[in-house]
Amino acid sequence: MRISRRGLLKGTVAAGAAGALAGAAHGREAVEPEPDAVGMLFDSTRCVGCRACQSACKTANGLHPDTVSANGGVYDAPLDLNASTKTIIKTFGSGEGQAFVKQQCMHCVDPPCVSACMLGAMHKEGEGKRPIRGEKRGTGVVVYDPYTCTGCRYCQIACPFNVPKFEWRAAFPLIVKCELCRHRADPSRPGPLALANPACAEVCPRRAIVYGWRRELLAEAKRRIAAEPRRYNGHVYGEHEGGGTQVLCLAGAGISFQDLGLRALPDRSAARFSESVSHAPYLHGLTPIALYAAIAFVVRRNERGHEASRREEETR
Amino acid sequence: MSAHETPVAVGGKLLAPPMKPLLALFAVAAAVMAFRFFAGLGPVSNMSDGFAWGIWEPINVVVFTGIGTGALGVGLLTYLANRGEYHGLVRPAVLAGAIAYTLGGSSIMVALGRYWNALLLPVVPLWNLSSALLEVAVCVLAYLFVLWIEVLPSILDRAAESASPRWSRIGRRWAPRLARAMPYLIGLAMVLPVMHQSSLGGLMLIAEPKVHPLWHTALLPALFLVSCLSMGYGAVVALVTILNLAWNAKLDPRLLATLARVNSGFLFFFLALRLGDLAWAGKLPLLGFDVTTLLFVVELCLFLAPAAMFAVPAVQRNRGRMFGAALLAVAAGAVYRVDTYLSVFRPGPGWSYFPSLGEIAVTVGMGAAGIALFIVICRLFPIVVVGKRPAVARGRAPGAPGRPPELERMRTSA
Repeated sequence: MRISRRGLLKGTVAAGAAGALAGAAHGREAVEPEPDAVGMLFDSTRCVGCRACQSACKTANGLHPDTVSANGGVYDAPLDLNASTKTIIKTFGSGEGQAFVKQQCMHCVDPPCVSACMLGAMHKEGEGKRPIRGEKRGTGVVVYDPYTCTGCRYCQIACPFNVPKFEWRAAFPLIVKCELCRHRADPSRPGPLALANPACAEVCPRRAIVYGWRRELLAEAKRRIAAEPRRYNGHVYGEHEGGGTQVLCLAGAGISFQDLGLRALPDRSAARFSESVSHAPYLHGLTPIALYAAIAFVVRRNERGHEASRREEETR
Repeated sequence: MSAHETPVAVGGKLLAPPMKPLLALFAVAAAVMAFRFFAGLGPVSNMSDGFAWGIWEPINVVVFTGIGTGALGVGLLTYLANRGEYHGLVRPAVLAGAIAYTLGGSSIMVALGRYWNALLLPVVPLWNLSSALLEVAVCVLAYLFVLWIEVLPSILDRAAESASPRWSRIGRRWAPRLARAMPYLIGLAMVLPVMHQSSLGGLMLIAEPKVHPLWHTALLPALFLVSCLSMGYGAVVALVTILNLAWNAKLDPRLLATLARVNSGFLFFFLALRLGDLAWAGKLPLLGFDVTTLLFVVELCLFLAPAAMFAVPAVQRNRGRMFGAALLAVAAGAVYRVDTYLSVFRPGPGWSYFPSLGEIAVTVGMGAAGIALFIVICRLFPIVVVGKRPAVARGRAPGAPGRPPELERMRTSA
């Protein structure tokens, strides 16, 4: 059999086209929020930038201070999320347009970091690749398991919010990010507090950070917008962004979420897009097997042909 | 394989130029890598939480393995298209591929923060099948294994000729067995790289908000697959030319001309896919007078130049121009890949990245180690088919299956 260059090219084109078609046909389903998903609502219009949440987070999670020296003094004043800062208050704009924003893991409904993680180190609580004691399914909290993490940092590439942080100066580094203070859960308390209890929400003096069921927080956010339409910009960030997030955000009138450093994202999660495109050409694993069988068959037939002609030469 | 097509060990001094500078470069890289295991990745690199992969992933893995797919390219022609005349190119291309993938794999082990957990990669129940990186990792490791098995026949041939009866027995016994298993191995050697080279493009699908829309497309896997073939064929043409200059390796201009035409096809196909996709998605208005457009235009020119050159018969007849076009073809794929992973990767405001000296040292040193390893294996084992013309200043009749003198010396002194 002779395969011409044109034939090869035709094959490649056909395979590519088939893959693209299959990709359009078999997109992965969108992930809906779990009914008992927990989350947080951050209301930028209530935040005064006191950073009590930041300090409480460090204490609750045993994180080192991130110090800067200035004017002869040393301050625990992180400039961004990092390996010892799981949440941070930042301010954007000035004057009338000034507003604070709280950055932390958004606990996406369909998280790209979870889709990207090779061995399920980054996973939705209770849905990892290995059973982990104490994890409850259905909370939707994105948690980290160091025992299966290879430190490849693909989660950092995948996260649209640049949330997972890496311990760059450690010989045995970890990925660090907010896990919604799952370790502070108190099973004796009712409702969402039995699953997690974020220290930041607990200490906020202005109730700018509220922890609870995602469905209730979403309703509360919409109620606030409806009650005071001139106070808010009218949108709940995280209801649909990137396939939805469990941490929701409200911003003041005239302020866009992009002004607050929250990326404009399509409604479908990047995880869904990536998985749909990547999986389509594989046809559930059929393509590689068929391709392998076809190649092995052709190669073996060609080799046999060579052998026969060699034998013929020898006998002559 | 006819008699004059038999590969021979090239022989010669192991430390002959350019070996010493190559080893020196690798020594620097080794020192940086050793330091990294004690101090962490931060002190040796400029990587950050925004640019978490630096240059090691885009260059050491994505570009090196792209160059290594010359093995796939030659395999497709020799075994699938049944063009036996390319048989002489198989061993050098497979060896280059095995080394390139080894470099990629070992660089990743240095780049992994929690490298010891890579031991868990073979544990199937832990696999997250949604992860493009898992597909790449498992597939690259499997292909690495397959490539070195494909190198084995050269080692076994050499063992069969060995003066030691034990080695000679092993070589004579296992070489034919391996030959019988080859068709099944070749199947893997084609499916695996097709899978992971496309997945290397697929890796960036999920970074949708960060990769510039001129580069981010659902066709990333297809574009990476085509670009690996254009890089691979270019690398083979360049390799054959260098081997001919250095060791008087057999160089059949007609074969190179065919490789050139095939490569021209892949390069044009890449351009058609790339431009067609942008036009189809309505992204052409994103072009303007800015740095990303400049990068895009440079990329297009890098693809267009070798595509056009390879198609011209006058170039196909000229060894120097062919070599130039081959290097351009490799550079085109390399620049496309580095652009996608790094140059147009924008994690957000406030992040910037330029590789540190340590990172550059590791990338350069690993490349040097690869070249050194290639030279040593070609000197000791029958990889290269040496041509009929007498070699100049090599002091040994070319074409004669020679035994590397230093091996003899080692054996007698032992």
